Amino acid sequence: MCQIKTGGSCSLILQLIKRFIASYTINKSSSAGEMTQRKSSGKRSSTAVEEEEDDSRFTQPTTSQVQKGMEKLTKAQIDEKTTELVQYILMKDQKKIPIKRADIVKNVLKEYKNVFPEIMNRVQQRFEQVFGFKVVEIDTKNHVYILINKLEPAEGSEMTSGNPKTGLLFVILSLVYMKGGVVPEGLVWNTLKKMRVDPGERHPEFGDVKKLVTDEFVRQRYLEYTKVPHTEPVKYDFTWGQRAEVEVSKHKILEFLGELHSQDPQRWSQQYKDASSQRSSRAPQPSTSSQR
Amino acid sequence: MKRGRCPDSGDADPPQNGTSDDGMRVRDPEAGASNIDSQPDTNDEVDSAHRRDIRSRYRVLISSIQKNREDIKITEVLDEANVLFKEVHQAREAALDSQLLVVASDLGKEKASQLFSEGLSFDPSTFVQHTLSFMGLNWLEEEGESSDEGAATSHGSLPRNAWRRLARRAEACFRSTPAFHFMYGSFQAEPPPPKPRVERQRKAPTKEAKRIMPTQLKKMEESLQEATEKEVERILGYLQQYHAQDPTSPISYYEFVINPHSFSRTVENIFHTSFLVRDGLARMYMDEDKMPCIGPVEDGMAGDGRAPVRKQCVIAISLQGWRELRRDLDIQESMIQPPKSQTK
Repeated sequence: MCQIKTGGSCSLILQLIKRFIASYTINKSSSAGEMTQRKSSGKRSSTAVEEEEDDSRFTQPTTSQVQKGMEKLTKAQIDEKTTELVQYILMKDQKKIPIKRADIVKNVLKEYKNVFPEIMNRVQQRFEQVFGFKVVEIDTKNHVYILINKLEPAEGSEMTSGNPKTGLLFVILSLVYMKGGVVPEGLVWNTLKKMRVDPGERHPEFGDVKKLVTDEFVRQRYLEYTKVPHTEPVKYDFTWGQRAEVEVSKHKILEFLGELHSQDPQRWSQQYKDASSQRSSRAPQPSTSSQR
Repeated sequence: MKRGRCPDSGDADPPQNGTSDDGMRVRDPEAGASNIDSQPDTNDEVDSAHRRDIRSRYRVLISSIQKNREDIKITEVLDEANVLFKEVHQAREAALDSQLLVVASDLGKEKASQLFSEGLSFDPSTFVQHTLSFMGLNWLEEEGESSDEGAATSHGSLPRNAWRRLARRAEACFRSTPAFHFMYGSFQAEPPPPKPRVERQRKAPTKEAKRIMPTQLKKMEESLQEATEKEVERILGYLQQYHAQDPTSPISYYEFVINPHSFSRTVENIFHTSFLVRDGLARMYMDEDKMPCIGPVEDGMAGDGRAPVRKQCVIAISLQGWRELRRDLDIQESMIQPPKSQTK
């Protein structure tokens, strides 16, 4: 995508063109499709429903602009906004749907949007120091954030009652990972069927399985469901989503798989190499958490 | 994936080049035809039929790739296509040929990405088996029991918390945050002040309304209860009076209750009479003709048994029945006079 340089009336035209193109592009996560739907439904004045705003209106302020903006604000105002944003992110995290920068600007920062980077820094600090969480931008192009745990899950944390969806997700993620990172949807459905989870039938625990896997998990960015070109009838592939790349430890997946198969995980040499590189690229983690 | 082309087949524009992204793009037909068309117009009909045949065979090949993505042997398909291509002279068939190439190469790419030769292979079925065992699947259960679970692999059933068990262990692989929920639900600090105002306003009207209510209610209740009791007493009076006139002859029940002029009064009479029987002030019995009769209970008669023998029956009467009884028993006048004042 072309860079939008501010200044001059042509920038407005460029922004309009960019928005026009964005709304007609078939986006994988279908966020563009959502945007066109919302725009056509007209304005809604209720504050309960948050409208999603096109991020292209927000231009990243320069450092000098941020500094100037910060000088005008009192400490109390800055703290208040920081706290509000922390709470906002915590609430949005409940459903595990990623948070858009445009929403943050529109719903929380509003007139403070010119100091967005500074507030974000403070929010990061707050999360890390108080909660042990980390705000990660999983999509630098569209500026989408998620909240992950900075700390590793503690040993013996099996005391918690697990969310069954996590189990299902684990099966799919493992399958995709062990099969090279891309898997045709047919393989996923067949494997699930062998586990008594049939996408064609209503499952007592998961309900509409197909919707859960292709819609909920995809919106949460655990999975990506992409169309395979030139297929008739249309077929899709599954890959790891942006959240999974950041939140899931490949090393731990291999470890568990090794336990299941009574095997040394190093025998899966390709995957093991890949997992080790993921481990080293991530910052070293402090001691275990007592979050549970 | 290499595809050998016989150089003697077609001269110009091999359609491989520009079609990697979009197999449907057709090159300029005019340019193509003038270059390739080596045969002049002899046997036009045969020629077009032949071309139709080629096109249909191409389409068959394309659909075979799309239908059997898993099992198809790409090399065989390509060999066939090579043979076909020898006969291609015009752009229309060439376009189909290029479409076939695109589809075949997509499939090839897909298969190549699925190849994973290094290290131990991973078999989904084995994975499923091990995972099901971990989840607590009971393999030894008989097939008959699990046959109602549905199509897929029977043998054994999963315990209820199977997926939870898996999730508990799998969660260790995730660095996810626990979801944040307010303990007492979310609230905003603003609403409380307006509330007392609203309540106070509402209280005033309700008090007044309540004051009016009790007086009305008292009146109504009195009238209902008293009316019934009075009626019952009055009917008892009639009964005793008639009995006193002729103690020996029984009073026919129907003659007693039926009011020949009004069906509704008849029903009321039956209703009130039933109270008398219930309270032990009147008794009903059958005479020689099996007709029901009614008579007052005298004090002396109670000495028979201290606990009165309770028998119940239900008396029903319809408009038709009332007319029949009135006619058959020839009732001209009612024995129970209707009450004078009616508050209905």
